[in-house]
Amino acid sequence: MNLTFQPSHVLPARVLLDKGVARRVYEFRVRVAKNLPPTQLQTESMIVFRRLIHRAVQLYITTECANILQRRQPRYAKTILIRAETLSKGRYLRRWARRLRSFGFSPEDAVVTAYASFGLISHSQIARVEVVVTNDLRLAKNFKAQKANIEDRFKRMVSNLLDPYSSLKLPEVVTTADALAST
Amino acid sequence: METLTIEAESNLIIPAEISRSSGLRPGDEVPLHDATDRLFLFIEDLEARAAAQEWWNSMSEEDQRLAREEAEWYESLSEEERDAIWNEGNEELEKWLDEDDDEDDEGDEFDISTITRPAGTRPVG
Repeated sequence: MNLTFQPSHVLPARVLLDKGVARRVYEFRVRVAKNLPPTQLQTESMIVFRRLIHRAVQLYITTECANILQRRQPRYAKTILIRAETLSKGRYLRRWARRLRSFGFSPEDAVVTAYASFGLISHSQIARVEVVVTNDLRLAKNFKAQKANIEDRFKRMVSNLLDPYSSLKLPEVVTTADALAST
Repeated sequence: METLTIEAESNLIIPAEISRSSGLRPGDEVPLHDATDRLFLFIEDLEARAAAQEWWNSMSEEDQRLAREEAEWYESLSEEERDAIWNEGNEELEKWLDEDDDEDDEGDEFDISTITRPAGTRPVG
């Protein structure tokens, strides 16, 4: 186990924030408005969100996450909705999410991971997300532990599809703490 | 990168030079973040406070008042009630995922390959 002060500096260009991260960014601001100290998870999420924006990383959220944020108070939600583009479900997203379920992912985790590969910008262009940032340690650990098998399954699936789907790559799934360490 | 050594009784000594340059003082609490493959210390207070202040100052007094009211309401909710807010739509998502259908007809998904696929053919996979 390493204990480090110095982060590495490899930044992805396109990052999908899962709903938990959006929630903690929202809650960070609620805590500030109440003059309460944010929790560590809320602080991590907020700092990752800010750093990715400042470093011109393209941020995305899922349609489901955007729907929830649109029903929340705009004073807290609008920054996320403005800064992160909403992905819609592309063809084969459900098929890949179903395959991911067989690796032990919850339905929601399977769908958000599948969004990274098959999510569309403006219903017309594949976003090609490189990294999913999550607060869910179980999701990140499960993905990492099974990545070789997941990647093999992914390649077998997309190799049977037409362009542009056949050239898709599997994203990384990292926690906010991981993202903090690398930004 | 600095490497720190765990001393007896699990004490971790931060070199004085790093403490000074990071503005750390005796008694400060330093969060230990648990990433999937490493533990790391992160002096986050200043950055987090700056973020909060910047956002708060960007609002008018009236918006700040309304934001406080909204925060009162949100903070009065139980953790279960907050979870319910953020889990809205999960049941529908699960149903959508489990729907029994022809895999080439994916319902509300958008297909962009039709523009490159030869007419009359279907994708395989």
